[in-house]
Amino acid sequence: MIRAEPPQAGRDLLVLHALRCGGHAGTARVAAATGLPEPAVESELIDLGAAGLVTYAAGPFAAWGLTDAGRAADAERITADLESAGARPAVAAAYERFATLNPELLDLCTAWQLRSVDGAGTVNDHSDPSYDTRVLGRFTDFDRRAAAVCAELSAAQPRFGRYRVRLADALDRAASGELAYVADGTASYHAVWAELHEDLLATLGIPR
Amino acid sequence: MRWIRPLSAQVAETAETLGGKAHGLVVLHRLGLPVPAGFVITTDACRAYLREGRLPAGLAEELAAAMGGLEAATGREFGGVRAPLAVSVRSGASVSMPGMMSTILNLGLTADAAAGLAAETGDARFASDARLRFLSSLASAITDTDVGGGDGDDATAAGPGGAAARSAEDEGARRADAIEAVQGLVRRLSGAPVPDTAARQLDLAVETVFSSWDTPRARTYRELHGIPPDLGTAVIVQAMVFGNRDDRSGTGVAFSRDPNTGENVPFGDVLFARQGDDVVSGRSPARPLRELADREPAVWAALVDALNRVEGHYRDACYVEFTFEGGELWFLQVRPSRFTGAAAVRAATDLADEGAVTRHEALLRVAPQQLRHVRTPRIAASADADILGRGVGACPGVAAGRIATTTDAALRMAADGPVVLVRPETSPHDMRGLAAAAGIVTARGGPASHAAVVARAMGKPAVVGTTGLDVAAASVRFGGRTISEGTLVTIDGISGEVALGSPRIATDTAGAHLRRLLEWADDAAGDHSERDDAQRLTAAHAALRQG
Repeated sequence: MIRAEPPQAGRDLLVLHALRCGGHAGTARVAAATGLPEPAVESELIDLGAAGLVTYAAGPFAAWGLTDAGRAADAERITADLESAGARPAVAAAYERFATLNPELLDLCTAWQLRSVDGAGTVNDHSDPSYDTRVLGRFTDFDRRAAAVCAELSAAQPRFGRYRVRLADALDRAASGELAYVADGTASYHAVWAELHEDLLATLGIPR
Repeated sequence: MRWIRPLSAQVAETAETLGGKAHGLVVLHRLGLPVPAGFVITTDACRAYLREGRLPAGLAEELAAAMGGLEAATGREFGGVRAPLAVSVRSGASVSMPGMMSTILNLGLTADAAAGLAAETGDARFASDARLRFLSSLASAITDTDVGGGDGDDATAAGPGGAAARSAEDEGARRADAIEAVQGLVRRLSGAPVPDTAARQLDLAVETVFSSWDTPRARTYRELHGIPPDLGTAVIVQAMVFGNRDDRSGTGVAFSRDPNTGENVPFGDVLFARQGDDVVSGRSPARPLRELADREPAVWAALVDALNRVEGHYRDACYVEFTFEGGELWFLQVRPSRFTGAAAVRAATDLADEGAVTRHEALLRVAPQQLRHVRTPRIAASADADILGRGVGACPGVAAGRIATTTDAALRMAADGPVVLVRPETSPHDMRGLAAAAGIVTARGGPASHAAVVARAMGKPAVVGTTGLDVAAASVRFGGRTISEGTLVTIDGISGEVALGSPRIATDTAGAHLRRLLEWADDAAGDHSERDDAQRLTAAHAALRQG
């Protein structure tokens, strides 16, 4: 049987869901998460705001975020999106493989931040390039296995494809010396992975 | 026997063959301390399994013979209905690989054997909980994920109030459902049902432990920590001791010295009427070890005596895991405890003063890197502080602030002063709260959890996996104490302590001990010039290793 292209989630849902998975964010981060141009993101956010689904919080941590209604709307729509694509079995199976990989990724982030010297745990100050290279080498090996899970997910629902792009980008930047892209900041491998984790839980309706 | 050794004082082989854990059990035997009857399958057998992809020839016969010996030693029958024998199956490599390997408890409790145990003890709840714990620990080992199970997961069932609040029938039905669910999970994920004979359960458990050596996560861990890939793990099989047997039973972990300060006083956690890994996993709220002295004075006295004996053997601060059943104490693990920072300095200096080690040995016990954290601020002398709870220190340093239980509250409150964000666990939704907070506390998760990784990236003191912490809408509970949002607390990201109010903070906890150790270092190096702490110790190490 030839399968039709799975239906694509609408732009408004992509933007709404990016805030659901990534927490409060500015337009640039939502653009990175969705792959949409920033002006398009801003326009969607304004419409979603008018519908009472998102709100802009001012102050030192100014950002867009979901309202309670937005969270409920996202849950309903992302579930409908999953079921209409008939993607639940594939996403659930991929989530099981994700859950096996997750502790390993957290081990890797920990090894990036802390290292054991003469039996003593100490902060990795990144003064030893050979150690960092070893850890990044394991990240690369891990990423190959993560890519397989990402591929299953995007075959089931194309919107998951952004995670592959963002994870690969973070690892490329880290490998070329931008060390913050491993575990610091919202575009780091760790942060994108955590968003994927949140996305899978939200999509499958699994409580934390 | 080729593949199996008994756990006894006579075994002479090294940790390379027996694994570190079994080697420690042999040491306990030699010291005359009580260890549940058992045997160890050597790392040779694991290497053969990994090479050939199946259990090596002859192992099945040896296993049957060893189990026969265990039956004779305990007077119980493996898989039997009358006096059923249950065993624990634990991995133990010659190097420590935390979190990589598995423990399977209560193995041998088939449905029939569990019914036999219920009849024997007259305690159906105990027997079905034991069977559930067996199935969930087996499922966790097979699937390499944490599968909950057993009453340890349900804090409300812990106290007599919780148990009374629910009818016995409800509870029985709940456990029966859980047993069904875990069996279904194993069948789905491994493609085969849980074996219904004790002997086949044992074969499966041994193979599972052997193959856990080579999971991708384990390979990554070894690569990161420079552990050779071909060591393999041993498997320890021992008669179960039931810490959940009755009110005079329990389980715990103990250090011979305080791992936070290095002070020469026993330190640890104890759980009454609980089994196995509840303490280590932090699933149930533990009590300070000292409570054992009041509730089970004989167990306490035996424990303190044992801690002295193992220190005498290792000539170092030690860590033990223990269980007591019906007031009788058993040891399940011993090893030297590797202290860090100020505690390492104090323990090494004290051990030299006590004559247990020479000054030169004391110097070599402390890595120069340790001294980096020696002057990190700490909550001073725990005895004076009102400690609400204790978790795992995930990022060193002290933070004081008012409790916020949500990111929104943290953002709102941070305008008026420092905030400590207290969450069940964290996710990307908490990023702004994490950014706004001065310190972070979570109920769940270990040193590699999301909260721990983010806290270290942000350089904020953090305590994760806080035992007994329950986060509600506008308040938190630590054990039995309810603390409302906005209350001032202080957290110590080294010791993992969460204290009420603002206890005294010390930045030089090693103080006099550090000065003395560094004087010995200068003597050893023959250099009394002005240098920083780490340089002084490094010079001493260099001189001692040359000499």
